[in-house]
Amino acid sequence: MKIVGVAACTVGIAHTYIAQEKLENAGKKAGHEISIETQGTIGTENKLTPQQIQEADIIILAADVKISGRDRFEGKRIIQVATEIAVKSPNKLIEKAEEVVKQKQ
Amino acid sequence: MNGNSFFQIYFDCDLKSKDQVYDFISEIAGQHSSSQQKLAIFHQFKEREKAGSPQIEEHVLLPHIESEHIIESQILFFRLAKPICWDDTIEDIRLIITILLKKDEEEAIKKKITLFTKSLANEGYLDRLLNIEEKSVFHKEIITFREESR
Repeated sequence: MKIVGVAACTVGIAHTYIAQEKLENAGKKAGHEISIETQGTIGTENKLTPQQIQEADIIILAADVKISGRDRFEGKRIIQVATEIAVKSPNKLIEKAEEVVKQKQ
Repeated sequence: MNGNSFFQIYFDCDLKSKDQVYDFISEIAGQHSSSQQKLAIFHQFKEREKAGSPQIEEHVLLPHIESEHIIESQILFFRLAKPICWDDTIEDIRLIITILLKKDEEEAIKKKITLFTKSLANEGYLDRLLNIEEKSVFHKEIITFREESR
């Protein structure tokens, strides 16, 4: 499964980056291809390419603030949660993404 | 207290409640500031919690703010002498890592902090910080990160 997403929190210094690491680790552990863009205090990093977005089976938005470029994901299946969920329960979030993709098929 | 000015370590720390913790942090963050500025920092921490829980892992909190009242960006570690109840929903807290981010901080410092926060996604690292029994070993663990991040 191909997963892409964005992490963004209020201050943009902590949850954003922990959420990215945890989601990427959980996704890879579950055997998926995953890439999470961060929109934090140092700007956007690991920016998703149009191809990555196009090929993604699902989008995970772990955000406490309005993210920039949300329109890039128009028409895609999206799971939106607070960063806290990605930080505390990354494995469950990946499982949820798997379920949503299965339902879609 | 130990550590350089960027990482401050308080081991076996005798803080017993959320208010005591935030009060102590405000004193550190605003040590060259007026009491009004310290109070402003205290309230900013409380306000930040309304936007989301500071808990990042079982037994671990990561309260953090960006403020014009903070003179120097710092990361503070509090290994508590005894576990504390934080509020109605968060209990058994043993480690509090606090990020104080100065408003309009320079990019290099911000990057250093984000590099550190990424390391907190590593459960093994947090486990070590939670379970190390000797102050000197705890310091070494932080120093190791500091050296690696240079």
